[in-house]
Amino acid sequence: MPRLNSAADLQKLRQEILARSNGNRVVSVTNGTDGRTRGSQGVIQAFTEEIEKQGLKGKVDVKSTGCHGFCEKEPIALILPEGICYVGVEAEDVPEIVSQTLVNGKTVERLLYEDPSTGQKITKESEIPFYKHQSQIVLGNNRRIDMESINDYIALGGYGALAKALSGMTPEQVVGEVKKANLRGRGGGGFPAGTKWETTRDAPDDVKYVIVNADEGDPGAYMDRSLLEGNPHSVLEGLIIGAYAIGAHQGFIYVRAEYPLAVENLYVALEQARDYGLLGTNILNSGFDFDVKVHRGAGAFVSGESSALMTAIEGKVGEPRPKYIRTAVKGVWDRPSNLNNVETWATVPLIIGKGADWFKGIGTEGSKGTKIFSLVGKVNNTGLVEVPMGTTLREVIFDIGGGIPDGKKFKAVQTGGPSGGVIPEKFLDLPIDFDELSKVGSMMGSGGMIVMDEDTCMVDTARYFLNFLADESCGKCVPCREGIRQMLDILTRITEGKGEKADIELLEDVAMMVKNFALCALGTSAPNPVLSTLQYFRDEYLAHIEEKRCPAYVCKPLVSYYIDPAKCQACMLCLRNCPVEAISGGKNQIHVIDQEKCTKCNTCFEVCPPRFNAVRRLSGEPVPPPVKDRTLVRGKS
Amino acid sequence: MKGTASKSMTTADIGKIDRIIDKYAEEEGSLIQLLLDVQQELNWIPKEAAERISERLNIPQSQVYRVASFYKAMSLTPRGKHMISVCMGTACHVRGAPRLLDKVTDILKVQPGETSSDMQFTLNTVNCLGCCALGPVMVVNDKYYSKPSTKEIQEVFEACD
Amino acid sequence: MVNLTIDGKAVTAEEGTYILEAARANNIEIPTLCYHPALEPFGACRLCTVEITSRGRKRLVTSCNYPVEEGLEVRTDSEEVIKGRRIIVELLLARCSNVPLLQEMAKEYGIEKPRFKLEEDDCILCGLCARICEERMGVSAINFVGRGLERKIDTPFEVQSEVCMACGACAFVCPTGAIKLEDITTKEPRPIPSEFNVGLNSRSAIYVPFPQAVPKVPVIDREVCIHFLTGNCRTCENFCQAKAINYDQEDEIIEADVGAIILASGFDLYDPSGLEEYGYGKIKNVITAMQYERMISASGPTDGHLKRPSDGETPKKLGFIQCVGSRDTRHKLYCSSVCCMHATKEAILANEHYPDLKSFIFYTDLRAVGKRFQEYIARAEQEYDVTYIRSRPSKITENEETGNPIIWYEETTSRNRTSMEVDMVVLCQALIPAGDHAELSKILNLKLDDYQFIDIPDRLFHPVDTEVPGIFACGFCQAPQDIPDSVVQASAAAARAAEFLSKEED
Repeated sequence: MPRLNSAADLQKLRQEILARSNGNRVVSVTNGTDGRTRGSQGVIQAFTEEIEKQGLKGKVDVKSTGCHGFCEKEPIALILPEGICYVGVEAEDVPEIVSQTLVNGKTVERLLYEDPSTGQKITKESEIPFYKHQSQIVLGNNRRIDMESINDYIALGGYGALAKALSGMTPEQVVGEVKKANLRGRGGGGFPAGTKWETTRDAPDDVKYVIVNADEGDPGAYMDRSLLEGNPHSVLEGLIIGAYAIGAHQGFIYVRAEYPLAVENLYVALEQARDYGLLGTNILNSGFDFDVKVHRGAGAFVSGESSALMTAIEGKVGEPRPKYIRTAVKGVWDRPSNLNNVETWATVPLIIGKGADWFKGIGTEGSKGTKIFSLVGKVNNTGLVEVPMGTTLREVIFDIGGGIPDGKKFKAVQTGGPSGGVIPEKFLDLPIDFDELSKVGSMMGSGGMIVMDEDTCMVDTARYFLNFLADESCGKCVPCREGIRQMLDILTRITEGKGEKADIELLEDVAMMVKNFALCALGTSAPNPVLSTLQYFRDEYLAHIEEKRCPAYVCKPLVSYYIDPAKCQACMLCLRNCPVEAISGGKNQIHVIDQEKCTKCNTCFEVCPPRFNAVRRLSGEPVPPPVKDRTLVRGKS
Repeated sequence: MKGTASKSMTTADIGKIDRIIDKYAEEEGSLIQLLLDVQQELNWIPKEAAERISERLNIPQSQVYRVASFYKAMSLTPRGKHMISVCMGTACHVRGAPRLLDKVTDILKVQPGETSSDMQFTLNTVNCLGCCALGPVMVVNDKYYSKPSTKEIQEVFEACD
Repeated sequence: MVNLTIDGKAVTAEEGTYILEAARANNIEIPTLCYHPALEPFGACRLCTVEITSRGRKRLVTSCNYPVEEGLEVRTDSEEVIKGRRIIVELLLARCSNVPLLQEMAKEYGIEKPRFKLEEDDCILCGLCARICEERMGVSAINFVGRGLERKIDTPFEVQSEVCMACGACAFVCPTGAIKLEDITTKEPRPIPSEFNVGLNSRSAIYVPFPQAVPKVPVIDREVCIHFLTGNCRTCENFCQAKAINYDQEDEIIEADVGAIILASGFDLYDPSGLEEYGYGKIKNVITAMQYERMISASGPTDGHLKRPSDGETPKKLGFIQCVGSRDTRHKLYCSSVCCMHATKEAILANEHYPDLKSFIFYTDLRAVGKRFQEYIARAEQEYDVTYIRSRPSKITENEETGNPIIWYEETTSRNRTSMEVDMVVLCQALIPAGDHAELSKILNLKLDDYQFIDIPDRLFHPVDTEVPGIFACGFCQAPQDIPDSVVQASAAAARAAEFLSKEED
């Protein structure tokens, strides 16, 4: 690949690439980790073979792309430029798609997205409600870029912002533009990136570092993974621009161990960038030198905290440091270090390319631009959602997310990962941004949005998060290590029916101490799930403690399964499926569950035919004794 | 704290360790990356490997051990031939990951964090793989399985040699 | 200099000082568990948290690692701070319910019983041990291992350490007694025996030799100090508020032109190990008179309680052996002159402390030649349960079961050969001129007499003059004598020197 020596070279290359593929159609197949789990590699191979077989080679480009957002429906095959969207594609479907759509221009109905509420099939991606309400300015390019192609990125204007910055702006001007745009960190902290850049730039030291925090540890959040897998160059471009603005010549990308495909694609992207001279010495003839090292994480959530991450880069144990000396002034090896999240870096080229004013036109007063959320849990359309700041929770969960599956009732949405809280129904019309959600005891965090329905127990949820944090705590400070442990103990007892009246006050006491005294943000935010579930779902806690009842029928020790003799039709389904053979009965004998053997696995509840609906879950009440006469009298409905 | 541990590395293994160390030789702060490579190469981090690293990098052994014992991706005991991970992230949890874990432990007869006695399987839980749309998720070596049924799980394990 | 207020008190501190250091320098107490002046602040226990108001914002920070700022307002006792500290102590006590330090702290905070399940760990994970081993000793034999709830202190791979120097620093700084050296290394720690307490206890490498030392200033024993051995440590430097510790000090050789010299070099103790028949060094409960003196002294290593070495029990029967090494053709030919009287004093003191204690003094001749000395002996016999037995014991053996020494002797008055089992034996060892006496005499051109004391040519009329004009010798260096006699000779030597000097000026 020829080295690019100027902005003009880049422009020329872009023209060449566009010319080469001019007029070609594109089949964009989602081939990130999600897609691969469902066989997308096979789909891509099938397309490549079939396209050749049907004489379309050179006219249709097959691209292996990252996540388009609608992960629930992957593998997705998107036909461009028409925008025809086929969902849930399997390798066997490919020959039909090629001959029907690519050759004959017809759609394959059965592979189109079907709107569950109307039953209507939708052909164009842009009309699918999931995508219609989104504004994918950062994530959107995923569908147009082969994850291993720098040329695809350049074709879309990639590295143009870098060229603009290097050739036409001073570092101070770049910082100024980012400040003007009011870009706030998307990793959870929401700190103004421009201010951090400025502090790092002004710190007196000639060795500085820029760092990409790709240690996305919040369970349920995978925005960064999708960006790194699908469009690593967007992050890289942002990083190089930032390095130029700050005066850093060495960058680090800290990627967690659990993202092997992202690591691989990063290595490929870095090599390509180096080949083109976009990394290394004298980038685009500007005199600016910069290169990047990839640093793999090793399975520690706490190492995603910025000071811990920097300590890990130094090769030491990734434990947080006390924050009284800012890492922007003294970071990695005590040098000024600027750390930002993946999504933050990926937004930078847009700001520099299109200008801060354009960016400020999106979002709310205090939170500009868009944010990518991972909408997961009990929601119909699971996936990545990018919307302008200020969009309401209701819009995201219902208009885009399609609401709660199986006709269940919405209970709460958990945001901000283990540092955040739960937001109940009454706040669904809150706009999402950096500040609004904190007012109700949660936070936007890195973007994880976990929807919960009536079958989710809030006490169990609090216990789940504390368990996670206890597992991930580094254990250095007493409040986090001992405090979380004891809170977890109390919550576990409550979910086992051993809760006592004094427990809630004790929980609140310890929670407040941990919140105020812990060393790092893992600790100080650890009580949030507990405090917010206590605030909005106190009744569930009281039910567990006072009535030994779990309203959502989740906490196994408090739940019993009972077959209603009035409804049982002795169909033997539950009997046959019970993994511990706890159900007795026969063809005309009403089935009875042996409470001693029952493991509460929920299987009988799941398999009992809905028209009988004979299996009941009981909580907080005793199980009725079995009826004496178990002979079934038919004729009951 | 007691006795001395037994020898568990061959000369060939020590050669591998040395080559990995050579790769990072001059880089400051490469300890974690180095240990990850050793973990990948030998499937665990034996005492002799830690000693070699300590010697060549001039870092006290206690610091090498500290790092290796801190991170979940590093194992100080030999791991099984096949790595099974079950995701316990929030999204998977809400979709029934604990039940999936129960099924897996029942079939494998191994608890999370343990290795089967025939050294074939090591089972671990992971706090979020980032495939939340597919939850609950199980990973066997490098393959991901979404919402596997009991039958599917059994088949996958049987296929592991 | 930075100005701030702590609990309403105006305080100044140098830039870069932490709030905790500034507070302590002004006698404002803030509790800590993981803080140590010689180590980097760790911020793990969070006990030192204080409330600060900085630029109008109130927040809670740990004082051990927050640098002072101009105009900072600090409160160490706000309600939130106290409340949080109480819970921290409560949590730690729940984890380590048997640790005395935590039990005391709990009492201070009014905690009767933690509201959590009680456990019996003994480590609070303050990290002082691992940090001092790494930062000060440069060894890093032990370190944190694992993460979160599994976190603990251990050696690599949980086997005996090969690099541990058995310096004992970790055990020394551990606030709960959780560190046991034998868990870390098979090496035995070598205590530094205290010279002043004749090895009854140990001292540190930096020490004040004894409370009446002149000057009363600590010295560093370069032979055992870790800094001089390995280049590390220097912990003491962080504690000295006067910044008086200087590791680069060298001995100074001072040259002075003088007109007269007075030798007053005193005495040393003769080591009775050479008298193998008495078992000193082998039989635990055979001690020397000097060791006894330190034991019975209220400011000594046992606070004035007689505790015999083998089991710490109080002896009920003491045996004193006189002339150990004195008047002995194999060792010293002369009489050390003070032992008969000091043995009597020691026996009297023993009985005063422990009224049912009996003493037996095995003597050759009783040298009670001073004024009223014989009356003292009589009082000992009549009022303090002291029995004098004229004999020179031939050997001491040990009752292996009880550790009691058995004295084998012939009573010269009755010719009876017998033995006596006692609880403890005190050997009144010979006294010898101090220091390298032979070397000193060569330098000063002085003769030593047959008994190696400084020779006084004319003892009758010039009892403190040596053969060299202008050099005078007083006290034990020239003849065995007790304190009153030594003091007289000292005055005499001073007078002689003054006389000599005034003559010279003529």
